[in-house]
Amino acid sequence: MIKKIAKDEWASGLSKLAKTYRLFGPVAERGPDGARTFHNFKALAPGELPDLDLGNTRLSAKSLVFPQSEAMFTYTLDEDRDDHHILKEVPADGMSRVAFGIRPCDAKALAMVRMNFDTPEYKDPYWLRLYEATTFVGLACDAPCPTCFCTSTECGPYHEEGLDLLLCAEGEGLLAKAITEKGERLLADAGWEEAADQDLGARKAAAEGCITSRIGTDQLAEGDLLDLHGADFWEDVAFACINCGTCTYLCPTCWCFDIQDEVFKQEGQRLRQWDSCMFPIFTVHTTGHNPRDTKTQRVRQRFMHKLKYFVDKYEKGIMCVGCGRCVRHCPVNIDIRKVADLMNRYTSDAAKAEQA
Amino acid sequence: MLTYIDEIRAASARLLQEGAVEMVVGFRQGSQPMMNEPCLIRRPEDVDTLVWDSHCGINLTNYLTNRKEKIAVIAKGCDARNIVTHIIENKIEREQLYILGVPCQGMVDKRQIAMRVAGEITEVGESDTEIRVQTTRGEIQTFAKAEVLQQNCTLCTHRNPVLYDALIAEAVSEQTVDRYTDVAAIEAMTIGERQQYFQDLFAPCIRCYACRNACPLCYCPTCFVDEAQPQWVGKGQDAVDVMTFHFLRAYHCAGRCTDCGACERACPVGINMRVLTKKLEKDCVNNFGWEAGLSPDVRPALDTFNLDDPDKLIK
Amino acid sequence: MLLSNLLEYMGIERNRLHMSWVSSAEATKFIDVVTEVTEAVRALGPNKYFIKDQAKVA
Ligand code: SF4
Ligand code: SF4
Ligand code: SF4
Ligand code: SF4
Repeated sequence: MIKKIAKDEWASGLSKLAKTYRLFGPVAERGPDGARTFHNFKALAPGELPDLDLGNTRLSAKSLVFPQSEAMFTYTLDEDRDDHHILKEVPADGMSRVAFGIRPCDAKALAMVRMNFDTPEYKDPYWLRLYEATTFVGLACDAPCPTCFCTSTECGPYHEEGLDLLLCAEGEGLLAKAITEKGERLLADAGWEEAADQDLGARKAAAEGCITSRIGTDQLAEGDLLDLHGADFWEDVAFACINCGTCTYLCPTCWCFDIQDEVFKQEGQRLRQWDSCMFPIFTVHTTGHNPRDTKTQRVRQRFMHKLKYFVDKYEKGIMCVGCGRCVRHCPVNIDIRKVADLMNRYTSDAAKAEQA
Repeated sequence: MLTYIDEIRAASARLLQEGAVEMVVGFRQGSQPMMNEPCLIRRPEDVDTLVWDSHCGINLTNYLTNRKEKIAVIAKGCDARNIVTHIIENKIEREQLYILGVPCQGMVDKRQIAMRVAGEITEVGESDTEIRVQTTRGEIQTFAKAEVLQQNCTLCTHRNPVLYDALIAEAVSEQTVDRYTDVAAIEAMTIGERQQYFQDLFAPCIRCYACRNACPLCYCPTCFVDEAQPQWVGKGQDAVDVMTFHFLRAYHCAGRCTDCGACERACPVGINMRVLTKKLEKDCVNNFGWEAGLSPDVRPALDTFNLDDPDKLIK
Repeated sequence: MLLSNLLEYMGIERNRLHMSWVSSAEATKFIDVVTEVTEAVRALGPNKYFIKDQAKVA
């Protein structure tokens, strides 16, 4: 059922929600001259509205449930205290949260990342408690960017996976489609109950039609892993890379982290921080040996993980939702779309050669 | 400048054919408007993939070290100064390089252009003086190049390479500008204002280290931020750790930075960390009469001692 | 000098950083320097800026 949210109901609904939820949404960063530069997800200040006039946020929505730095445990080394040398879990704030303005690609990425943090054997309590506390409110894309290739990644500008509620712009106001019970509850809590006699099908088709960028992935599952690993194009692909963390830090599907202890006087904290396979120290052993010592190996790792290992392990497609962030912000223009096509073509060429 | 590419290709093909070099480091067409990708050419028949336009801002000096081949490199004014610095610091030998010097007219700042148009840029073209962009809304807008250059290029006083084996075009005229108005503006602030300024400046930093890695000067085998024994600085998002990283990174570039702008250009969140390195540069010029990377035969300010060096600090 | 200038530029008062050469034979100079440093720093009061105790993270 689609609901209609008029412009003034939007603000009033948000202030109603602010009483029981912590609100998050895209907020514009401002340059020195006050001009809006780009958006990131932030906690909204009282009365602040999420800025929905954006392409996509510079950093993905993953930080909402997987902050770049997060305290996991605290401890004390003070032996006069009974609890010295005991790790104490940092408690969650316990508040329900709503995150507005999540693009469908980021939402699908959350569902994808969940495969890593929430498995039958292991559950990551930090990730899960934020994930479960949050109602994810999507924002459909009627004007996708030229770098968006989400229709090639089993996603799309109106894709609903990972969302509780999907919004799309309608004149001055918004349309809202509840996807889960959480989403319906949110609509009720905000008092957004006016039914709209509309269906999003045509808008969805129109938006999908605006996506101009596509990649081929159909051969990736078929290909031989070691063959691809040994393909002749890696050095050329990797040449320009400077091994920064931009592509992985901006990516909604990259989930790697590092755990660090920091002690100040007698009081310690165990912190989890994002890490990146593009950094040389990512794989350094305590012996000093680094099995992934060259840039080519690291670049290959990133693409092989996203486009081959993940594909083989989970059988759920590639580990990329097509948001285009790494394409836009790589300082040296390494483009996953080109690499995916290279890998895909390499595999199909290999298959053809075998048949012949 | 639009004709530079013909000479770049011809010279590259010649050098490869004659066996004078084994590879050429240059740029190929990027997949994004206003982006080119550094690349390596080994065969004369591939030189046509090389491009040259106003989007070749990345510093190619990064791509020369730790190789055995004899390399030809296409070097702008700033790249040439970083090559000089590499030679002084024994990172590379002069004999290993064939420098194809490019008299530079400045590289454009794609973010500035993106900010000034509505919609997304889909195509870009240029003439000698103008940049023309087309957007997803079908509009075409033109900008005078001089108005959309990277800030460091508007202030550049060494556009002509200082060291080269061949120049691919006639030298361009050098600019006379006051390089340090932004530094002076910060110096004029009160202590409290400066503290606030730097806290705000670095607040969006995600410590991706693109600024560090884009910089040819940052070649330590293990950077101090990555060191674990001892651990000099916390690795997370604590604001003091972030600022410590920036402070020390800048200081490690003292007397070496050429203000090529690679750091700022690489930053995914648009931080102008150059205000730190420029301050160091200004102090080097004013106190030691030193500008980095002008000659391989002069030892840098920070590794020489002169009796008349200012020493007000030491009591 | 470059270092102290940069620190001051980033908002750390000049008088928090002192540098001096004191030979082991210069006892009186040592006392003078220590006195000068402590007085200068005391006059500024405790520094709150660019100081980390526990990491402040999410
Ligand atoms: S691919 Fe680009 S963004 Fe990623 S590490 Fe390399 S240079 Fe950085
Ligand atoms: S790999 Fe690139 S395009 Fe794909 S989800 Fe990550 S940032 Fe987006
Ligand atoms: S800094 Fe100077 S030489 Fe370097 S790109 Fe800019 S104008 Fe050219
Ligand atoms: S490139 Fe930008 S975001 Fe990355 S570490 Fe440097 S200043 Fe921070």
